[in-house]
Amino acid sequence: MSLPMKLRRAGMYILLTAIALVFVGPFLILLSAGLKPAGQAVFSFPPDIIPRPPVLDWAIEAWTAIPFPTYLLNSVIYVGVTVPLYIIVSALCAYPLALMSFRGRNLIFFAILSTMFLPGEVMLIPRFLVVSQLGMADTFAGVILPGVLSAFGIFLLRQTFAGVPREVVDAARTDGCHELRIFWHVMLPAARPTLAILGIFGFISVWNSFIWPLVVLKDSAKYPVALGIAYLAGITGTDVRSLAAGTIISIIPVVVIFMIMQRHILEGMRGAVKG
Amino acid sequence: MAAGRIPGQRWYTPYLFAIPALVLFGVFFAWPAITAIQLSFLEYDVVSQPVFVGLENFVTIVGDGRFWTALLNSLLFLVGMFPLLVVIPLLLAVLVNQKLPGIRTFRMLYYLPVVTSMVAVGVAWEYVFHQQGVLNWLLTGAGILDRPIQYLLDPFWALPALVLVEGWKSMGFYMMIYLAGLQTIPANLYEAARVDGAGAWHRLRHITVPLMVPYIAVAVTVEMLDAMQAFTSIYVMTKGGPQDATLTLGYYIWSAAFEHYEMGYASAMGLVLWVLMIAMAILNYRLTRGRTVMP
Repeated sequence: MSLPMKLRRAGMYILLTAIALVFVGPFLILLSAGLKPAGQAVFSFPPDIIPRPPVLDWAIEAWTAIPFPTYLLNSVIYVGVTVPLYIIVSALCAYPLALMSFRGRNLIFFAILSTMFLPGEVMLIPRFLVVSQLGMADTFAGVILPGVLSAFGIFLLRQTFAGVPREVVDAARTDGCHELRIFWHVMLPAARPTLAILGIFGFISVWNSFIWPLVVLKDSAKYPVALGIAYLAGITGTDVRSLAAGTIISIIPVVVIFMIMQRHILEGMRGAVKG
Repeated sequence: MAAGRIPGQRWYTPYLFAIPALVLFGVFFAWPAITAIQLSFLEYDVVSQPVFVGLENFVTIVGDGRFWTALLNSLLFLVGMFPLLVVIPLLLAVLVNQKLPGIRTFRMLYYLPVVTSMVAVGVAWEYVFHQQGVLNWLLTGAGILDRPIQYLLDPFWALPALVLVEGWKSMGFYMMIYLAGLQTIPANLYEAARVDGAGAWHRLRHITVPLMVPYIAVAVTVEMLDAMQAFTSIYVMTKGGPQDATLTLGYYIWSAAFEHYEMGYASAMGLVLWVLMIAMAILNYRLTRGRTVMP
């Protein structure tokens, strides 16, 4: 590589790193505030980012100031129930839409696509009233069930199923396979990459969900962790250090999952946009 | 797509597969959608019986100064987020579309705010916006500001500050939409342009942008819908204040419904928002349709 090329490349990395700092910086500031000892100022000109020494006191304080373990467990339950339900309901619906011809197929498909044009804020009130009428206000079911149907999931899986070679399906059918068996033993395994993508996106969206649980839940013992953080922020007298530490704890699970699965996410976005 | 009738398959088999989705659609989408329309003609505070009031809610909207403030703020969100979500992410996508070692790590870092919750992002930015925070240090240090500003308490700066946070959080997502598009552009187009002596700006202006029109159209639509629905950042950081400076339609609807229990009035405003959003989506579709360039 020639010298100008090397310089150009170095400049490119400096630019990429500077931009990365813009996106990661606020989290680093939060992390630093959550680890600073009581004697070190959180805010100062110039910023004093490195904790001397890093302490876990504030993480422990946040952990006990609100029922943190309960909130984390609630979030795990919300994710653990919603995501599998969401995947199976989407796959079941996508299967006939992709591979069978029947009366009303287009109608069903367009009805489901139309849900994308019902803005969340508009649906908030009537959906809350419906959930209340069904006796599901302030329950786990009330938080979970409205989030199970997703036009995105059905759309993506329909594309995937339609892309499975016809011969594979026809061969299974001539072998006398039941449709449900084909669905379970042929289509689901063939769609595994798409299912992984839906799983990750589902995890992220349920873990971060805020406005719907805020509306449905009265009892703070059922809060997911994002609501718990808003609650912690709202308690007067919460130290800026322990709020920072608590917020960092709340995002660790989703950041770890993202780091592990990032390749799938970025590939998946590509598939979704093309589809 | 050939999907013939399958011998031995009963006529109701496809419907059985679709039942769970259809039930959820009926209960959590169709029924509430109809309820939303009904509610907007009612006065309803959850406790007492609903009263039919005809078009009164809509008449109230016209004379409600806070509604117009909220609408204006929502439109300011939309306009303010446009460069952050439609223009800058395209440049970011071009940047991370280069073949460099470690480029995936940079894509991941730029995407990080997308996967974190808006609550966490809101809290993090409160530290950045603090009077003694990094932003004030940078801006006073660079001589742009004479003295530190309390961004979230300032009626002028609060809205731009929230727009910045919302835009910052979603940039990575829009970058990935564009990246998907960029990777469909054949590399030999750029090679040919380079041979003809076209510089980086020319290649961006005359190859990338025209070929990206369909993706820009997607980004614009999603941006409009996102901007009109901004809520969580406002709830966490400003609660609509100071002096309604960050009161958006989304926040006003939520507050009318769940703080003041004016379900009918809030639904009527929701309906107006709904119509606005559909109108914008259609307008955008009309404007960009036919400009799709086939490679």
